[in-house]
Amino acid sequence: MTSKMGRRVLVVGVGMHPFGNDGVAATDMGYVAGVAALDDAGIDFPEVGALYNGYIGGGITAGVHLAKDLGLTGLPVTHVENASATGSSAFGEAVHAVAGGRVDVAMALGFDDMNRMGGLGRSGKRGLGAEDVMLPAAFFAMWATRRMHEVGTTVETFAAIAAKNWNHARENPMAQRRADHEMTVEEILASTMISYPHTSKMACAAGGGGAAAVVASEDVARRLGGPMIEVVASQQRSETYTDGHVFLGAVIGPAQMTRDTAADAYEQAGLGPRDLDLVQVHDAFPIEELVYYELLGICGDGEGDKLVASGETSLGGRIPFSTDGGLTARGHPGGPTGLAQIHETVLQLRGGAGPRQVEGARTGLCHMAGAGSVCVVHILQRN
Amino acid sequence: MLATDPHLFRLPGDGEDRPHLLGSYSAEAGLHFWPRRRRCPVTRTPVEDVELGPVGTLYAWTFLHVPRMGKVSFGDTGGYAVGQVDLPEGVRVQAPLVGSQHDWSIGDEMALTLFPVGTDDDGQELVTFRFEVVR
Repeated sequence: MTSKMGRRVLVVGVGMHPFGNDGVAATDMGYVAGVAALDDAGIDFPEVGALYNGYIGGGITAGVHLAKDLGLTGLPVTHVENASATGSSAFGEAVHAVAGGRVDVAMALGFDDMNRMGGLGRSGKRGLGAEDVMLPAAFFAMWATRRMHEVGTTVETFAAIAAKNWNHARENPMAQRRADHEMTVEEILASTMISYPHTSKMACAAGGGGAAAVVASEDVARRLGGPMIEVVASQQRSETYTDGHVFLGAVIGPAQMTRDTAADAYEQAGLGPRDLDLVQVHDAFPIEELVYYELLGICGDGEGDKLVASGETSLGGRIPFSTDGGLTARGHPGGPTGLAQIHETVLQLRGGAGPRQVEGARTGLCHMAGAGSVCVVHILQRN
Repeated sequence: MLATDPHLFRLPGDGEDRPHLLGSYSAEAGLHFWPRRRRCPVTRTPVEDVELGPVGTLYAWTFLHVPRMGKVSFGDTGGYAVGQVDLPEGVRVQAPLVGSQHDWSIGDEMALTLFPVGTDDDGQELVTFRFEVVR
């Protein structure tokens, strides 16, 4: 199912509005992020050939209205929604628009405020069904208790992953949760229990934000003259049937989906997990990051716990994960999150990530899951 | 008594003590599914309606420290459990569980039971399903 890239595609600009709960309108955050990405690329909006807006909570025409603020240039504007993977899918559409020759420059723009989002699930039904009581926290927690049963993972391991991501966010001015002190495993464990074994400081933060990326053909990127950050893989999949498949209410999805999407991406990029210098994943709860170590091939099945214990996925370790704080601490508004991952990876590959810089970073992977049924993987490389 | 969603399960009939889940069977794939499918998701061939359960094995669980489940209140410090139960037909079902935090473990035998969740506009009692440990 591996899709081909066509023309080479490079990320020429990225921008963000800080994630948080400051009451700024989602479209205002999107505007700030979009203008920042254009400025970063050094181009004016009329040069953008196509715009892909990613948002979940806005009104039906929010994306088109935002385009009016950027300029009435007549470009095609498309609304993309794929749950948590919305921003990742919008980025993928922009990449493929350039790769396929539709345009020479495309922009993906994500914005959202999770606090103003409408109800999820089967609203309008007569009564209270099982589906209506299954909070997302429950699915991830069940994944965690099963993992504890099968592999012997401890709550301390989950807390260690969360503490790592909180501490990564301390060096990220765009992050929603910036602790004024070094977070410890004990502090994570002592926070309010939400859904056993996950505590409130292990859960991704609810808030708003904006993030954007501008991608371009090789000719345009060379003319602009900035660092050449190439999108060497852009892959997206949905579920295939696996034993124990859950049709009603699954928000984590079958493990095989992430394995397959990652395999497609590695094949397309012509590299493997050992070639990666840093990774961003959908870490809404620490069980996810732990399992994705294995599903992305960073280590063998059941070996993720050892990776945490040895510090290999922390900044300064062999393969840092969630260098900007991840969903846990950078925050997770649905629309911009995937684009925030691209923003972080591009900064890292340019060598511009400041105190959280991964030394010599050349190749980074971004992974997002959406509603348990969507998986998007991008691999970026500095040339 | 009314089922909250009669497409997902049916109430116990005469002489039965437990509700049943309403699923599909694909003869081509030899697979059962729940909830009912329009066609087999693996082979895209027709499926037939079947009834599943009502007894299975606990695959995973969690306890949510949330004092309300829809309209049902558990008090200020309460909460409720949800679990995944594997039925003998090879179907994994997610549903609320009966009991408190220390009542179950992975591998327990679980059976489907009813759970009142309120009344409809005509005052009829609405029930959904959940699983309880078979003692």
